[in-house]
Amino acid sequence: MKALLQKEFTLSLHPMAIVFLCFAALVFVPNYPYEVIFFFSGLSVYFICMTARENGDLLFTCSLPVTKRSVALARILTAVILQCALLIFTALCIGVKQIVYPRELLVNLAANSANLAFCGFGGLLLGTFNLVFFPLYYRDPNRVGIPFLIATAVQFGLIALMIILRHMPFYAPLTVPDPTGWGAKLTVLLCGLTLYAAMTFSAARLSLRTFERVDL
Amino acid sequence: MKALEVEALKKVYPDFTLGPLSFGVEEGQITGLIGRNGAGKSTTLKAMMGLISCEGRVRVFGKDFSEEEFAVKERLGYVGGGFRFYPAKPLSAVARAAARFYPHWNEETFLHSCNEYGLILSKRVRELSEGMKMKFSLALALSHGAKLLLLDEPTSGLDPLSREDFCDTLLTLKGQGVTILFSTHITSDLMRVADHILYLSNGKLLANEPLAGLLGRYRVQRFASFEEGHAAGAIGVKPTKMGLEGLVTGFEGREATLDEVMIHLEYAQKETI
Repeated sequence: MKALLQKEFTLSLHPMAIVFLCFAALVFVPNYPYEVIFFFSGLSVYFICMTARENGDLLFTCSLPVTKRSVALARILTAVILQCALLIFTALCIGVKQIVYPRELLVNLAANSANLAFCGFGGLLLGTFNLVFFPLYYRDPNRVGIPFLIATAVQFGLIALMIILRHMPFYAPLTVPDPTGWGAKLTVLLCGLTLYAAMTFSAARLSLRTFERVDL
Repeated sequence: MKALEVEALKKVYPDFTLGPLSFGVEEGQITGLIGRNGAGKSTTLKAMMGLISCEGRVRVFGKDFSEEEFAVKERLGYVGGGFRFYPAKPLSAVARAAARFYPHWNEETFLHSCNEYGLILSKRVRELSEGMKMKFSLALALSHGAKLLLLDEPTSGLDPLSREDFCDTLLTLKGQGVTILFSTHITSDLMRVADHILYLSNGKLLANEPLAGLLGRYRVQRFASFEEGHAAGAIGVKPTKMGLEGLVTGFEGREATLDEVMIHLEYAQKETI
């Protein structure tokens, strides 16, 4: 798996995947729908899969001494590494913002505020993308666009729902700056990260099984 | 000893069925897999590599592919239709990535092969000619000690001189004990290098025999009419520039080329359908 991951990062990784990690800094923009940060993560996965298709990557890799299942797993793990890096960068940027910004600018009027709970929402959005995109992609790796469109549509549906919920009274503890309401925020964070892990695990299981039957 | 044994290999598509195919490839031989476009040559090679899901068993140097995939792939070099991978990457990057997968990768052999084939490692894949791409694939395969090469249409897209050059390389590899199975529809290449022929037609194996035996069995005879051809028991009588020609068994007529054997047998198949 180490050799496969090294191959993913040296031959398959699209440079934009690294650039999109920097989009974590969007949390510094006041009153902005920060959820789109996680859309760009999906876009980087799309670019990687597109580049792989254009490079004949799957055929090349599957002819090496590896199983087809491990080839699929390596790509999903690459996405997971990038997504975890994005979550960590976002958390770091949020931490800096909480310290540097005046309190009135810490409440986001456009969507979710950049606080402890936001990374939980991020986990939910990333996990949803993985669960929809990867099993569809591995049904036919030559068709990258349709799985991406469907996964993105579901992701944006969730973002819209989050924006609507943000204006509900029961949501108030999650919009305030840290550390106020840390109990509710921590619960959201843990739930989000757990869901991310569970959805990505399910995505990997489905994808591996599907890819094994695919003809290259 | 057989380098490759294939048993009841079968793949069913909605509009095409490959096999069931059973054949073997002798160690140290060059075997040509021939057939017209769409006969199933690439599917056969891909099925043997596990790149498509299919029924049947494949053994490489006595090892079962499904049971010992890693060990089998370490001894295999597969090149599918020229090296079309990672066109924007330098050869060194591709080789470095591939090397990590092979415990027996020999960097010295790789550099030696590159030197011998005139490959410059700082060049990008897209900067190579088709012939050089093929040689890069061979250099990769030889560096991990592949003893069986599966080449899918390696000479299509090459000019006659590059093909000649490539065939010389194959003969050199054969001299080093490498077994080669390569699919092609350019049968003149096989006339130069092949010991054995597997002839695939519409997914079925039509011939599996030494090249000399296949060529020795048939002769080409000219006929004045189709009736005369059929009366003589000729196979695949068809019009040519010189008149009607068909394959006959016996001593009459002139020697047949592999091209002619393939064309007339294919024609006979079509007539049967």
